[in-house]
Amino acid sequence: MMGGPSDGYDSAAASHRALHSIKQELRRHPIVVETRGFPAGEFVEVVADLAIERWGVDSHNATLTVRWFAGETEDARPEFSFHYSDTERDLGWHHHEQEHVDGWGHFQKRTSTEEYSYEAYTFPSKNPARLVWDVMARLSSEVE
Amino acid sequence: MTEAAGVEAWKEQTTAFDRIQSVATAVSQPQSASHIAGEAHVAENTARDHLKRLVELNVLLEREQDGTTLYGPDPLHTRVQMIRELLHQHDRDSLIELKQSLQSQIEDWQSQYAVESPTELRDRAAETDTAAQTRDIRQTASDWELISYRLSIVEDAIENYNTYSEDAPVSA
Repeated sequence: MMGGPSDGYDSAAASHRALHSIKQELRRHPIVVETRGFPAGEFVEVVADLAIERWGVDSHNATLTVRWFAGETEDARPEFSFHYSDTERDLGWHHHEQEHVDGWGHFQKRTSTEEYSYEAYTFPSKNPARLVWDVMARLSSEVE
Repeated sequence: MTEAAGVEAWKEQTTAFDRIQSVATAVSQPQSASHIAGEAHVAENTARDHLKRLVELNVLLEREQDGTTLYGPDPLHTRVQMIRELLHQHDRDSLIELKQSLQSQIEDWQSQYAVESPTELRDRAAETDTAAQTRDIRQTASDWELISYRLSIVEDAIENYNTYSEDAPVSA
């Protein structure tokens, strides 16, 4: 069959598909209570409420916020972030241009009211669906 | 170790078909069965069967390139899926409110940055003084593209509301 899958790259459509896939995978994860596009109606990011007590962690307002932009061209690197927060923690795995460490991939964690610490991080994949499960496993290790 | 734990959890909670569908519909450029199988942690022969099924269901498109079959999402399927989701969540009045809200957001950016499009805004990123300003502008341009796309879906949903709505009369 022709007229196939890549005749016209649309970065917004590709980004929306990625966000949709991320939302679907988050819904399948056992500690995710609810997912929603945010802001309501706009859907530029996905927000998931997490029941981290299922990991034996006592905290409140546990939320994962995911942004994804597929890149201006088909070959461009995607820009994305998986950022977690609860009443005590504020941390995340990000992939975008920044000035703190070499490369795009990094892990950042709030160390005080105004500051984050940064370390380089290499993502095992750039596929949004697969990354959801990788990040959730890392998050489990980070908060437990 | 953590990467393996993530994959194991994924396998426990999903079928091979689920993983193939999720991976293949989220690629930003068409990929081979071998690539999709690797990302989805599914045996390549199983992946090929599932990919063919997804092509038959009009979820994916396939094409040949240099002797290899590549698979990517069918943009029409994705679009119809998004319209259906909107129609589940909104009635016609609420869709019109959503359209106005998205248009207002775009007009705010046009006015704030004195540009007409996300592409023009991205050009501004070259003129900023700090890395943080550059990142902010690039992020706003990305959000702008996403909202413009979302607006086009909402307009489709409004235009075809009477045909696609769950409340639409069933013809005899």
